[in-house]
Amino acid sequence: MEMLVCIKQVPDDSVEISLDLGTKEPALIGVTPVVNAFDTYALEMAARLKETFGGEITVVSVGNDEVKNSLKNCLAVGADHAYLVKHEKSESLDPCGIANILKKAVHDIEGELETKFDLILCGKESTDYASSQVGLLLASKLRLPVATNIIKVEPMDGIMRIKQETEEGYRSIEAKTPCVVTVQKPDYDPRYPTIKSKMAARKKEIKELSPSEEVSSMLEVIRVFEPAKRVAGIKLKADNEQEVVAQAMSVMTAAKVF
Amino acid sequence: MAYLISEEAQDLLQDVKTFCEKEVKEQCKEYDASGDWPKNIYEKAFEQGYQALEVPEEYGGPGLNRVDVAALIEQMAIADAGFATTISASGLALKPVLIAGSKEQKERVCELVLEGGLGAFCLTEPGAGSDAGAGKTTAVKDGDEYILNGRKCFITNGEVASFYCVTAMTDKTIGVKGMSMFLVEAGTPGLSTGKEEDKMGIRTSNTCDVVMEDLRIPASNLIGEEGKGFSIAMKTLDQARTWMGCIAAGIAQRGIDEAVTYGKERIQFGKPVIKNQALQFKVADMHIKTETARQMVAHALTRMDMGLSYTTESAVAKCYASDIAMEVASEAIQVFGGYGYSREYPVEKLLRDAKIFQIFEGTNEIQRMVVANNVIGR
Repeated sequence: MEMLVCIKQVPDDSVEISLDLGTKEPALIGVTPVVNAFDTYALEMAARLKETFGGEITVVSVGNDEVKNSLKNCLAVGADHAYLVKHEKSESLDPCGIANILKKAVHDIEGELETKFDLILCGKESTDYASSQVGLLLASKLRLPVATNIIKVEPMDGIMRIKQETEEGYRSIEAKTPCVVTVQKPDYDPRYPTIKSKMAARKKEIKELSPSEEVSSMLEVIRVFEPAKRVAGIKLKADNEQEVVAQAMSVMTAAKVF
Repeated sequence: MAYLISEEAQDLLQDVKTFCEKEVKEQCKEYDASGDWPKNIYEKAFEQGYQALEVPEEYGGPGLNRVDVAALIEQMAIADAGFATTISASGLALKPVLIAGSKEQKERVCELVLEGGLGAFCLTEPGAGSDAGAGKTTAVKDGDEYILNGRKCFITNGEVASFYCVTAMTDKTIGVKGMSMFLVEAGTPGLSTGKEEDKMGIRTSNTCDVVMEDLRIPASNLIGEEGKGFSIAMKTLDQARTWMGCIAAGIAQRGIDEAVTYGKERIQFGKPVIKNQALQFKVADMHIKTETARQMVAHALTRMDMGLSYTTESAVAKCYASDIAMEVASEAIQVFGGYGYSREYPVEKLLRDAKIFQIFEGTNEIQRMVVANNVIGR
């Protein structure tokens, strides 16, 4: 089974990010770039499928040279090929722009590897801007079926059997191949790169692709701002319940809660 | 501050850090209390190949230089010193073979380690600690075999090793010149383990007696030549003790990390306690000592990589790093105040872990003898 996993490099989501008051942008200096957590789940899912059903895994990302390190990390945990679509300002692109670039990349990679992908996996969202749109838009542009928030996928008799997680429970879906899935956290964790696999991955080539046509964004970010800080609460003290309720009512009235 | 390491080692360091944060640091608390050997943690670590860091590239190892490896071992020590000791003790057992073994022996032990096996270095005996030449274990040649008899004690990885490098007297009449070194594989009839030590610290490592009763091994398992065992053991320890300095520096670094984090959180007199210059100076001293120890470790390892002499530097690194690990761990407890003395908090363990580094692989008194002999001359 031939698989493509689309990955995004994001700032380490275990670090609390603040806003740089000068640039009005998130202060990311010193924050380690990592592969988006949901994309690591997608890659692990692909690696497990490869172990069971064979085939190869290709990873692709859009960005500048710094993203190559994340792609190498993917090569250390199961990916066989890695492609970077060079774009110096990928962070300024909206999900539709990224999906356009990925659509072309899918065709370019299929041509170069002389293969057709049976399954394209994306994380369900990125941990930085969390638009949750790229996988859906990519499927739409490729005119492929898509299932979101999936926790399991298995090829069976020429179709994909998919387990989707919903608010209420699970849903079983069948999709024709090829198809696109966006991956939710399954009940397992991504494997760690081993010393050996990491050393081998460092020697592998990251192939570069160009986005060719100019990609423009339909969305414009007007302002990035932090959520309002929570102010300290008020402690009420009184001798009895009636008095404390009266105090609470007057505080809330003054704050125009009602 | 840290070791100056290659780009690829920086990459690996990030992986080791992530692994240790997620799989070692918190999990080891339970095993520190119980004293059980955390097999599941080690199995995961072996999957990563941590035990094979010191395997030379020509035998399938990663081919990192020693300072690169030190950065990774220190990261393991920051998470848990017992964990790092187990990994490093395996490297210790590789050394006699790498120093004096045949090509076949080197291939064999490296293969065992790459497969996820650990090694154990067996020199110490109940009556032969600092006086390592006083060992009573014997090896008698019988045709194409040697027959080993004796008891080794305080053997790290004793119960869990795949191979052992054992010193034994092939000629008791000529003292240390009659000592030889042998390679013994786990499962050889006559090899057993005895009492497991209930240790004060590094409780996630296994330490026990290793007993040999009419243990027969092929004569080809002799490492180097007969009578060279003491010299091989001393060369082994010369190299290995720097690694103990590396782990000790890791313990000290954990002490700093914990003290700084706690010092920022703990409010007394309306402000974080770290705002007091008394504690700031304490943290500065902790850092000065730790960084000095780390750079001494790096210096000794660089000399090893360059093929220069390193006996004195290695002794200085081990002795200084373990002495300051005790001081820094003690100061970390001081920063925590009463909570530092409680087992609920992570710093009392550091003091317990640090103590052994002043004792094993040559006590710090022996290290001072080594240093003095090299500085003063005989």
